[in-house]
Amino acid sequence: MLLTATVFGLPLAYILARYRLKGKTLLAALILLPIVLPAYAGAFAFIVFFGKQGTLNLLLLQLGLITKPVNFIYGLHGLVFIQALHLLPFIVLSLSAGFTNIDPSLEEAAEVEGAGGFKRFLTITLPLCTPNYLAGAVIVFLWPFTDWLTPLIFGQIDFLPSISYINIAYHFTDMYRKYMGIVSVVVSSVICIVMFLISKRWVESKKYTSLSKGTTLEGRIIEPGAFKRFWSYVYMVLIAILVLLIPTVLGLSAFSRRWALTPIPTYWTLDNFKLIFLESPGLLKNSFVFSGVALLWGIAFGLPAAYLITRTKIIGKEALDFVITLMLAFPGIAVGVSYLLAFWEGIPLATLWIIMPLSLFVRRLPYFVRMAHASYLQLDVSLEEASEMSGAGKLRTFINISFPLLLKGVFVGIVMFFIMAFQEISTAIFLYRGGWETLPIGIFLNWHRGMEFGIAAAMAFFMIVIIFILLLIVSRIGGGIIGAAWGSSGGRY
Amino acid sequence: MAFIKIENLFKKFGNVAAVNHVWLEVKQGEILTLLGPSGCGKTTTLRCIAGLEKPDEGDVIIDGKSMFSQGFVPPSKREIGMVFQNYAVWPHMRVFDNVAYGLKIQKLPKKVIKKKVAETLESLGLTGLEGRFPGQLSGGQQQRVALARALVGNPKVLLLDEPLSNLDAKLREKMRFEIKSLVRRMGITSVYVTHDQAEAMVISDRVSVMNTGNIVQVGTPEEIYKKPATRFVADFIGTTNFITGEILEVLKERGLLYVHTEFGQKMLCKIPDPAMASTNNKVNISIRPEDIEIFTEPREGRDNLFKATIMHRAYLGNFLYLFVNIDSTMIRVQAPYDLMQKEGEELFLFLNPEKCVLLP
Repeated sequence: MLLTATVFGLPLAYILARYRLKGKTLLAALILLPIVLPAYAGAFAFIVFFGKQGTLNLLLLQLGLITKPVNFIYGLHGLVFIQALHLLPFIVLSLSAGFTNIDPSLEEAAEVEGAGGFKRFLTITLPLCTPNYLAGAVIVFLWPFTDWLTPLIFGQIDFLPSISYINIAYHFTDMYRKYMGIVSVVVSSVICIVMFLISKRWVESKKYTSLSKGTTLEGRIIEPGAFKRFWSYVYMVLIAILVLLIPTVLGLSAFSRRWALTPIPTYWTLDNFKLIFLESPGLLKNSFVFSGVALLWGIAFGLPAAYLITRTKIIGKEALDFVITLMLAFPGIAVGVSYLLAFWEGIPLATLWIIMPLSLFVRRLPYFVRMAHASYLQLDVSLEEASEMSGAGKLRTFINISFPLLLKGVFVGIVMFFIMAFQEISTAIFLYRGGWETLPIGIFLNWHRGMEFGIAAAMAFFMIVIIFILLLIVSRIGGGIIGAAWGSSGGRY
Repeated sequence: MAFIKIENLFKKFGNVAAVNHVWLEVKQGEILTLLGPSGCGKTTTLRCIAGLEKPDEGDVIIDGKSMFSQGFVPPSKREIGMVFQNYAVWPHMRVFDNVAYGLKIQKLPKKVIKKKVAETLESLGLTGLEGRFPGQLSGGQQQRVALARALVGNPKVLLLDEPLSNLDAKLREKMRFEIKSLVRRMGITSVYVTHDQAEAMVISDRVSVMNTGNIVQVGTPEEIYKKPATRFVADFIGTTNFITGEILEVLKERGLLYVHTEFGQKMLCKIPDPAMASTNNKVNISIRPEDIEIFTEPREGRDNLFKATIMHRAYLGNFLYLFVNIDSTMIRVQAPYDLMQKEGEELFLFLNPEKCVLLP
């Protein structure tokens, strides 16, 4: 899967980083969108479109191009396909950041030495990007260890997290299965953490330092020829279409009923939405409340943590940083299971609803701290010192100088935190009880029951709309949807 | 008399002593420069005066008040103006608000703030830019805003941390004189940090040369140039030639001594410090390229006249710059532009004993 994402991501990153193309920003935004869309939403949409009785097969049948439905999606290849699409942004973003940051003179030097286009790319450009690539690749590689739902949807259960889920989900009937589940959770956690630490080591040892500063801010930008321009467009548009399929198909199913055996729905209705609002407004409320509470904790804990790590010399801050970073590698399923075990009997927290936002908070905190940390790093210390020299104390300096300057970066982090918490399922599924269902859990339950696909789709569509609105707000403030999706680009000082 | 006193200041980072027991006094109203290569401790010393760094030992006394030993006085309470290397102009505030910031914190009446800001901006040629954001200003203008912000509150002390290093050469030269005359006019005691010796010479009343955490020499620009205390100072300030040798004979009554030089000839040299003048002492003789006189013919019986071969000859417009060899010792010489000798030809150098500085 990492391989697939890399193969597709590499040219994409290069195009985005180096070519000057019209409409690049918009296409880039579309391509990067999956980062904020839940993977399971994509999976549903693709089943509807590419499934055995899906739109594509039916269309091909009607046109007489095939006589039997083709299995586009069920099975390993479908799983790889959807996960690669979902994780493509991570690769693209980390690589294109690498491409942009390379000092143009390094490549120019290779050019002068006689290395031609492709050779130069292989010997200079790519090796220089390895640290960036690895940073993104770890996320991609570790993803299958934490995503249990997507494999299930595609009928693939031979994945560690899926096994864990199934085993733990049925532990009420069979104690033995519970332990099997726990073992597989532990195994995948250990794998994740070990992989993560190895790659971190590797990235740190590979950090290339160069004396010169880049001569241009945006790196090397090439005016592509007509041929390259054409194929770049084709390539980007293709991927963008695949991405756009997700909300489109979900939208279609959300507004329709009994959509089956026809390429597009025949019966339009708002019933699905009515059902959501009438029967289960609790889902929405829960989603907002849990995410909101998690967010408040995130801000209350994350900002001071970032401050401690960046600006002070307190003992133990490395340990704090390390633990928070390590949480990045910890699979969500492991958080859920361990909370379930820890708080079930000894500390009876699992019977209180507070457990839900708590788990969301713990799961998403590292992202927020990282982001706040990055914003702090970008903030020049002398800006704060200048304020102290002007007679302002530490607190006033923070209010007048640091906070307004940090706001942009942190705000993006806040919204991303909310979005992530909002669509979180891998942790929450283990902890919810009757009445605490969130929107994603509702989606899963409706899909699980089989018959209610329309409702699941409507919920997923609804969720995408909410996420999209949040993203729009971020991009208004943070500048550019790419910035919004990635988050760390907020604030350039 | 001494407005700022630095007493036994010591600060280490990790295992490296950045400032190694430094003593220094800055007089009221003078501009003192801390000059030295990067890593010599000049910026750390400045930041200790500002209170942005806490020393491990020692004290800073400003206008009679201790800043560290009787309880730490935070930077905000020191009444110091500071200009940072990267200006540190707040990007989210307009020029007016940047400059008015400190005054607002003092809670001065709006009218007074307006008047003071307007005056300061005018003295720096920034009138009309009050409403701009820093992003809309050139580097030079941002620099002036930083200066205005530091000066507007009439601080007791002005600290400048390499304020001109981010400007282009032409502007830098102009700003040196501007800062000097502005600070002089306001009579503010100033400490200026730089690694650029030419900048230090222009701007300072006194220069304090630092190296590896120590102050090597303090003096007026002229003293430092003409009478460097160590080989390091002579080398760091301007360009000079070093000739190593051993003291051969001391002529006390004439105030001179003979040195047996590395190129095997006797050389006459003025005695700077009687303590150094004992035979067999190993010494360095420093002589500046512009102090060397050139003759095209030998003069019989004259001291300190050495035959040399021209290795490189560069035309610099108002003079020639020569690299010549006495035996195998390379000497830099500034020669009149109409000198006819070419590379590979010979001439005679007169190293005036009065201009030769004897260093340990």
